[in-house]
Amino acid sequence: MLRIIDLLKRINNGVAIAAGLVLLACVLLILIDILLREFGISFGGSEEISGYVMASVSSWGVCYALTEKAHVRIDVIRNKGKEAARSIFDLVALAATSYVAVFAAYHVIPVVEKTLKRNSLANTSLETPLIIPQAIWMAGWIWFAVTSCVLLVCALVLVIKQKHSQVNDMIGTETE
Amino acid sequence: MLPFTFFGLLGFLALSIPVGIVLFLLAFGIDAFFSPFPLMRGLGQILWSSSNHSTLIAIPLFVLIGEILLRSGVAQKTYSALNAWVSWLPGGLIHANIATATMFSATSGSSVATAATVATVATPQAEKLGYDQRLFTGSIAAGGTLGILIPPSINLIVYGFLTESSIPKLFLAGIVPGISMALMFMIVTVIICSLWPRLGGPKQHSTWKEKIVALKSLLPVLLLLFSIVGSIYVGWATPTEAAAVGVLISFILAMAYKACSKKMLMDSLAGTVRITSMIMMVVLGAYVLNFALTAAGVGRTLQMLLEGLGLSALATLLIIVAMYIVLGFFIETLSLMVATIPIVVPIIVQLGYDKIWFGILMIILVEMALITPPVGLNLYVVNSARKNGKISDVVVGSLPYVGVMILMIILLIAYPSISLYLPTNF
Repeated sequence: MLRIIDLLKRINNGVAIAAGLVLLACVLLILIDILLREFGISFGGSEEISGYVMASVSSWGVCYALTEKAHVRIDVIRNKGKEAARSIFDLVALAATSYVAVFAAYHVIPVVEKTLKRNSLANTSLETPLIIPQAIWMAGWIWFAVTSCVLLVCALVLVIKQKHSQVNDMIGTETE
Repeated sequence: MLPFTFFGLLGFLALSIPVGIVLFLLAFGIDAFFSPFPLMRGLGQILWSSSNHSTLIAIPLFVLIGEILLRSGVAQKTYSALNAWVSWLPGGLIHANIATATMFSATSGSSVATAATVATVATPQAEKLGYDQRLFTGSIAAGGTLGILIPPSINLIVYGFLTESSIPKLFLAGIVPGISMALMFMIVTVIICSLWPRLGGPKQHSTWKEKIVALKSLLPVLLLLFSIVGSIYVGWATPTEAAAVGVLISFILAMAYKACSKKMLMDSLAGTVRITSMIMMVVLGAYVLNFALTAAGVGRTLQMLLEGLGLSALATLLIIVAMYIVLGFFIETLSLMVATIPIVVPIIVQLGYDKIWFGILMIILVEMALITPPVGLNLYVVNSARKNGKISDVVVGSLPYVGVMILMIILLIAYPSISLYLPTNF
């Protein structure tokens, strides 16, 4: 059980570094764009590409934030409870997250299908085939659904086994 | 529909469900119970068009700047330099806390990051010099909140994004209120520490030579500040692109301080992705809820409700302000903003108030939320930087500064030009 969680965490750490590097590349692109503009050359693609970068970084990043317990939760009432009660709160929160993640992934897929069917190009000078950024973005949402559901199953098993401190390590909140 | 949204929001939040997820759930609920036609069939398209947005790239970039500055030692140097300049005032180092927070606000877009940075460098000093912990920590928590008011500001970017207002104008509008609030924080500190010298600590006198030498350590932050703000107003770069310029400059600074390593780079990037995604989850949730509320006609419902009450514009505004103060006890900044913008801003506009002006007012209200218990992120951030000590110290120490914020809110309502002068004239 812990091996699965560990694996998820390691994959998502890799995702975060990759997303960070993409952001750096995007910074570089924007800087080049600013420079070229001063020399009167218009490239103008950085704006469009930073949009794609943002979409992908956020859909993949939410997975990392999930395994890092970084999503904001109001834990005032949760922290009043004992260990077991806290685990129940954590389970409810994670179940809600998984529900939204699966629902979102389910509705994200048709968007990409339509793009694929119509061979849509972006309405810009770059004429980017939209399938490239959208496929990366969609994969992030699907991975979010997978990550949250796997975590939910693991958490359920741990709660049944009464291993509350492990539940807290995995999906609790950072308490001061 | 409104009671559903309101109580659903509070109820789900109380269950400790992540804020972003709560907003999604509410949108699903409105779709299921109140909308005559299915809204969520378009969910995928909404998610794509709201996250594929070049303005939003400024969020990770400003977060990254903060991460680099903290990890490269620029923060410590700035603190000791400002210390030489302001610690002769009654209250001593407390003024250095406020001044450093103000300066970092001008390079960082986040309040929590600002408070964390200042707390890390300042707290060891307080223990060494025997300061009263309450006012000292309170000043950091309060000073840190300026991070979202003084540009650049992630919260103002999000506000501009969700309300379709001009981000450079919002930035301009935040300058005067931000700097006046910093000055008022210092004045209050002087008053308190003159009346009860125990609450402050030893004043520190620096010679002019020391002061001049100290100026050199301020150069990095000033350079960063001018490159960000300058490139926007000279017209070289949009606010988004200016963030990229800022990233470049902070890397150069980190290299100049020989603080650039592979580990530092990886840590900064991972930290940036973590904070950005946490923000984006909430922003996306707010966007979807916004869509559901608009499609289900909440604007008309609210308008009718308010007309039924027959209140004047000012009375309605005051009710909204009171609502923010109460909600601010329980919900933190960005969540509070994005959850309420879709409901509140249309009403404000209908009442004839300015969107830009209200953005600044809202920022000060959520700043207050950051330092009011039980949910006040800055209080916890500052307290966790100390080795030991009760959270109540920080809470009590922040109270005078909460007073300043209330005063600023009154001033802004009475004299809107405090925030609107710059954006209308430049």
